Amino acid sequence: MIARLLIGVARFWQRYPSVVLPPSCRYQPSCSAYAITAVERYGAAKGGWLAIKRIARCHPFGGHGPDPVP
Amino acid sequence: MKEDQKNFLLFAVLAAIILIGGQLIASRFAPANPPVTKIEGGKTKVVPNPGADPTADTAGAIRDRRQVLAEAPRVEIDTPTLKGSINLKGPRIDDLVLVQYKETIARDSAPIRLFSPSGTQDAYFAGFGWAGNGLQPPSADTVWRASGTALTPSTPITLDAANATGQRFRIQIAVDEDYLFTVRQTVLNAGQQPVQVASYGLVNRAAKSKDVDGWTVQVGPMAVENNSANYDINWTDVDKEPQRFSATTGWLGFTDKYWLTAMIPEQGHSFDGQFRTTPRQGYQADFSGAPVALAPGKAVTQTTRLFAGAKEVALLDRYTDKQGLTMLDYGIDWGWFRIVEKPIFYYLDWLFRLTTNFGVAIILLTITIRLLLFPIAQKQFASMAKMRVLQPKMKALQEKYKDDKARQQQEIMKLYKEEKANPLAGCLPTLLQIPIMYALYKVLLLTIEMRHQPFVAWIKDLSAPDPLTPLNLFGLLNFTPPHMIAIGVVPILLGISMYFQFKLNPQPMDEAQKQVFAILPWVLMFVMAPFAVGLQVYWITSNTLTILQQRILYARHPQLKVAAAK
Repeated sequence: MIARLLIGVARFWQRYPSVVLPPSCRYQPSCSAYAITAVERYGAAKGGWLAIKRIARCHPFGGHGPDPVP
Repeated sequence: MKEDQKNFLLFAVLAAIILIGGQLIASRFAPANPPVTKIEGGKTKVVPNPGADPTADTAGAIRDRRQVLAEAPRVEIDTPTLKGSINLKGPRIDDLVLVQYKETIARDSAPIRLFSPSGTQDAYFAGFGWAGNGLQPPSADTVWRASGTALTPSTPITLDAANATGQRFRIQIAVDEDYLFTVRQTVLNAGQQPVQVASYGLVNRAAKSKDVDGWTVQVGPMAVENNSANYDINWTDVDKEPQRFSATTGWLGFTDKYWLTAMIPEQGHSFDGQFRTTPRQGYQADFSGAPVALAPGKAVTQTTRLFAGAKEVALLDRYTDKQGLTMLDYGIDWGWFRIVEKPIFYYLDWLFRLTTNFGVAIILLTITIRLLLFPIAQKQFASMAKMRVLQPKMKALQEKYKDDKARQQQEIMKLYKEEKANPLAGCLPTLLQIPIMYALYKVLLLTIEMRHQPFVAWIKDLSAPDPLTPLNLFGLLNFTPPHMIAIGVVPILLGISMYFQFKLNPQPMDEAQKQVFAILPWVLMFVMAPFAVGLQVYWITSNTLTILQQRILYARHPQLKVAAAK
């Protein structure tokens, strides 16, 4: 249930706000794609936590490059 | 190109839906404050507050307040913040005016009236009493004997009544310099039989609040039950059936957007609370304490607190922390985001006391936030400078894999990694803006400290939308344009600042995206127009600072300017 909701949020983000914002992804895959895969693979709790950690390192001082879901 | 056109059309439709639907939805779920002024013939006029207190009667059954006030003996209430009187028949606190707050921003505006006696316009009052086996409490018509003529912070008042069986009743009422009444109810059993005593308190209002109850701000019945605030009881729930709860700590009452009436039973003693409708389509919140057995010759005192006044943030926090009134600070519906909203509020309030102008305080707040985020922007620019050096390698990669986009992307990512450079900011800096914006929206919407706060010139209330619109030549033409297109001067400035800020962004490659960027500032201008001017001031300042920051950083890395110009 919650997992679906989280995936819905990520899909919504990809579909609307993300389209009009300037491209900003430092990582491959993007944060939203990462979140969807993570939640699908590990469920809402662990997957969501992975996604939060990913967003938290997605800034100019963080890393970059390929960073797939473990 | 075909795909681009389709995308663009989709965006145009979406923009229209956001524009029209957004305003409809926003007015329900994310209400903004109504305008307090309008501009006519070049002059600022005060819009009458729909909740304002009429001096004359309206409906037939409703009588003039002055007449009703004169009918029963009364004790005056006189404090720096409150004026009014206590009705000795009852007794009831049913005449209360908040002298520090006005209905409208007009200089001669009447102060906010919170309580009004039963039978008058917008009747609203608090009462106290007892129930219990063997007890014969004074009836609602009993006229109590008062110890003085005026209740002030330094002189509490004592009310006495007795009945034929020898039970004596006493209500002592004290008030502080702000909005808290302390009511001590004592029963002395001078009779021959043991009796049961349960004190109660009630808040009764004849009509719903005139403020809109939305998703982002609770208006109406509100309770704290033990250690959780309940914002989920609405007028309609009470209409259907009485809403009951039992607790040992907490309170209950009614909240408007800026005003609160809360009955706070003795904390730590169990009580039953309920919300119900009255026979005359009104609403009542009441509690009764657990019955106490009272032997002959013994007395029992129960203390209730009544908060009746303005929801000042620091005041409610002080009552909660110092007076042990459980979660009274939750009377302000900050929502789950309070952890961010309250620090922002307190910082803004501190800046306000420093500068005495809330508009200036908002600008200083914006500057602070930008300064905190400056290292991020700086780092960003440094890596952009590095990117310049990598440009030829990038071009080569793009050429090499121009038929395989995914591969191209991968190779570029690999190059970034090798050279330890990345031109993109990542999503966190963007996402950080959202909570700050939302926190400021809530602060402007629901804190009374922002109410009726002027900025400069025609802006008399930062918590309301801009009343000055070019559509009727700044009020020189005598007509009111339709609400949706009548956007003010400040939102237009917002649109312009956004337009310039967007121009600084690297031009997107995609044709459709380019068009989206060209239109987005103007769409957002319409979306933001109905919101508080203070919010727009924040956004304009933020955009201006972004532009400024960009200039400073370009000056530091001159080679980038050349790149941007290309």
